[in-house]
Amino acid sequence: MNNTAALEASSLSRRYGSTWALDDCSLSLPTARVIALVGPNGAGKTTLLHLATGLLQPTSGSIRVLGELPGANPEILGRVGFVAQEMPLYRNFTVAEMLRFGEKLNPTWDQHLAVDRLESLSIPLAQKVGTLSGGQRGQVSLAIALAKRPELLLLDEPLASLDPLARRDFLAALMESVAEHGVSVVLSSHLVSDLERVCDHLVVLRNGRVAVDGDIGGLVRTHRLVSGPRHTGDLGGVGEVIDRTDTDRQTVALVRTHGPVLDPTWVVREVDLEEIVLGYLGGRGGSSASADPTLRAVQSTPSEVGS
Amino acid sequence: MIVFSIDSRSAIPPYLQIVQQVKHALRLGMIEPGDQLPTIKQVVADVAINPNTVLKAYRDLERDGLVEGRPGIGTFVLKRPDGPPPPLLAQLRRSLDRWLRSAFDAGLDHEGIASLFESGLRDAISQEEETA
Amino acid sequence: MIWLTWRQHRAQALATLIGLGAIGVFLLITGPRIASAFHELHACLVVPGKDCSQLHDSFDRRFSGLSFLVPVFMVVPMLMGVFLGAPLIAREVEQGTHRLAWTQSVTRGRWALTKIGLVSVFTLAAAGLFAWMVSRWSYPLVAASDGRFGFGVFDLRGIVPIAYALFALALGTAVGALIRKTVPAMAVTLGAFVAVRAVVELVLRPRYLPAQTVSYPFLQGSPRAGLGDWLISSRVFDPTGRFVSPDGGITVNPSALAHLCPGVPATPSLGGKDEVGRCLSQLGVRFVDTYQPGSRYWLFQGIESAIFLLLAAGLIVLAMWLIRRRIS
Repeated sequence: MNNTAALEASSLSRRYGSTWALDDCSLSLPTARVIALVGPNGAGKTTLLHLATGLLQPTSGSIRVLGELPGANPEILGRVGFVAQEMPLYRNFTVAEMLRFGEKLNPTWDQHLAVDRLESLSIPLAQKVGTLSGGQRGQVSLAIALAKRPELLLLDEPLASLDPLARRDFLAALMESVAEHGVSVVLSSHLVSDLERVCDHLVVLRNGRVAVDGDIGGLVRTHRLVSGPRHTGDLGGVGEVIDRTDTDRQTVALVRTHGPVLDPTWVVREVDLEEIVLGYLGGRGGSSASADPTLRAVQSTPSEVGS
Repeated sequence: MIVFSIDSRSAIPPYLQIVQQVKHALRLGMIEPGDQLPTIKQVVADVAINPNTVLKAYRDLERDGLVEGRPGIGTFVLKRPDGPPPPLLAQLRRSLDRWLRSAFDAGLDHEGIASLFESGLRDAISQEEETA
Repeated sequence: MIWLTWRQHRAQALATLIGLGAIGVFLLITGPRIASAFHELHACLVVPGKDCSQLHDSFDRRFSGLSFLVPVFMVVPMLMGVFLGAPLIAREVEQGTHRLAWTQSVTRGRWALTKIGLVSVFTLAAAGLFAWMVSRWSYPLVAASDGRFGFGVFDLRGIVPIAYALFALALGTAVGALIRKTVPAMAVTLGAFVAVRAVVELVLRPRYLPAQTVSYPFLQGSPRAGLGDWLISSRVFDPTGRFVSPDGGITVNPSALAHLCPGVPATPSLGGKDEVGRCLSQLGVRFVDTYQPGSRYWLFQGIESAIFLLLAAGLIVLAMWLIRRRIS
C-alpha cells in the first residue's frame, strides 16, 4: 500500500456549545488494517467518525481520509463507506429498492456483490426493510456500504444492537470482505471483547482525547499485569505504570515494559485487549497525576512496535 | 476440508492456534500432502477473525516447510510435520532435568518453579512473535 | 437521484394528484350548470339598457352557497407546501437517513438541489393545473359579480396560486431544515404561510400602485361599474368635502333631514330611500370610491407572484445554507 494514511487527524477538535467532544486529537491510522475505536459513551467516537465522513466540520485542527478532505467531492465520498450508529435505512423501501438506492447514488456500485451477499444470508430482496430483524438490517446496511467498493469503511457501533449470533455473522461478513477486497476498516464499539480477534490496531478515546493508538499485537506483547506486595510510590524498574490499584497488602498494576520482568517479587501475567483498554480508561493514580504525560508517552509508542 | 475453531480465552494467540490445528490435522491424517487448506476468505467467513491472523498462520506453516502458497490458487499441504529427532529430544530433556535440580537446590517450591517456567515460556513466545 | 426522489415522495405525489382529481371531478360536475345559468344572464347583460337585475339576483341566490369554496380553495397551495415541503428535509434528518444519503457518492448540495428542484417542478405543475381548473370553472361567477380583482377571487385565479404554492414549498423546506422535526415543521410552516399571505394581501397589495379615486352622487351607480375594478373602499362625503361615513351608508338626523329635504318622509322605509337619496345627492352628498383599475389586474398578478417567488428563492437559499452548514 502507499504511504497515505487511512485517516489522519492533526490537533483535531470539535466543540458543541461549551463541551469539547474531541480535544486536540492527533492520529495517523494505517491502511490495510481493521482498527478498533474504543471508548466509553461520550468519549468522542461518533464525533470522530462523523468528522471523517464529512457529516461534521472540525472546530479546529484538521482531518483527512485517504489523503483527502472528507466529503469534499463525490470522488472521496465514493471511496469511503459509512454505516451510522442506528444503521439508518428507508423503512418502507424493500431490500431490492435499498440496493437500487445504492446503485443510483454510487458510480462504483457492484450490484452482484450486494445481491450475492444478501442471498447467502437468506435475506429476501422483496421484503420491506422495516420488517427485517435487527441483525438483518445490519447486514443490509453493511452490504450497501461494501457494494460501493470503498477503500475505507467506517462503522459506528455496528454491534451495539445485535444479538450474539447476529454480531458474529456481521463480523464474519466483514472479515470476508476484508479478506477478499482488502478494505481498511475502522470499527467503533464500547464493548471491547467483540473486537479482539477481529481488529489488529487499537485507538482508545477518553474524554475526547486519544489515550492509546497502536498495533494490538504490539500492545499485548508490551503490556503486563503485575501483582505483588504493596509498594508505595514508584514501582522501581518494572516498567511504565499505566494503571495501579493499591490495597493495604497488595499492589496490582498494568505496566508497559520492553523486556521480561525479572524481579521475582512480582507475579506477572499477560493481559488481553480488554484489560489494556480498561487500564488506559481507568486512570486511577498511575505514574502521573494528570493524564497528559501518559498520553504523550503512549503516542510515541506506535512506531516502535511494528508488526 | 478442515474447520478451525478459535478459543478467545486461551493464552495462545489465535494465529498459533491455527498453526497447531493444521499440524494436528496433518498428524492425524485428516488432511494429507496435496490437499488444499481453506482459503483465508473461507476461514474468516466461518470464524470471525482478522484475515491477517490466518495469513500469518499460513506463512508460519510455509516457513516451516509444511505448506506451500500458490498465488491466485490457494495454500497446499506439502508434508507432515516432523517432531524433533529422538537424540535432540533426549538432550533437551537432560537440560531440563539439570535446570530443575538447580531450582530445587535454590529453594524454589513447585509453585515457584511453575510460575517461573510459565513466565519464561510466555516471554519466549512473544520474543518469537516479535521476530516473526 | 431522480428515481430516489420519486420513490421517496411518490406517496405524497399520488395523494396530491388524487386530491386534485377530486377537486377536478367536483368542478366538472358543477361547472356546466353554472355556465349554462350564466349563459342566460349574459344574453341579457349584452343588451344595452336592459334591466337584468332579476336574472342577476336569481343567479346570485342560486350560486351564493359556493362562496364557501373560496377559503377551501385558498388552502390548497398552502397544503401543497406544508405536505410536500416540510417533510422534505425534516423527515430525512428526523429519521437519521441523512447520514445514509450524505455518505454515498453524491454531495449534500447536489442531493438537496435535485430533491428540491424535482419537487418544485411537480408543485409548479400541480398548482398550475389547479389554478387553470379553478379559473375556468369560476369564470361565469366572476363575470356575474364584482370581478376577479377582489379579495379571495384574486387569490384563486391567474398565476398567483402557483407562486403561493412554490412559496409554501420553499417555506416548508427551509422550516424543515431549521427545525428538523416533521410535525412541528408543518405547524410552523402553516402559521408562517398564513401570516405572510395576510400581510401581503391586506397591507401590501392595495399599495402596489397608487390607488385611484372616483366621485359620484350618493346612492347612484358608480360610473366605473363593470370595469372589473378592485373596490378598496367606498366612502361618503358631504358637500363640503368632509368625510361622513366609511361604509357607503349614513345615519341621518330626522329633524335635520326634514329641514334639508322638505317633502321627504322623515322615517324612510324601503321605498322612501330613493327619495332621500335623491335629495341628499342633490345637496351634494357624494360617494368617493378608492379603487385599483381593472386594467391593472395582470400587473398586480405579476407583482404579487414576483414577491412570492422572490421570497421562495430566498428561502431556498436559506434552506441550502442550513443543509450545508448546520446539519450533521
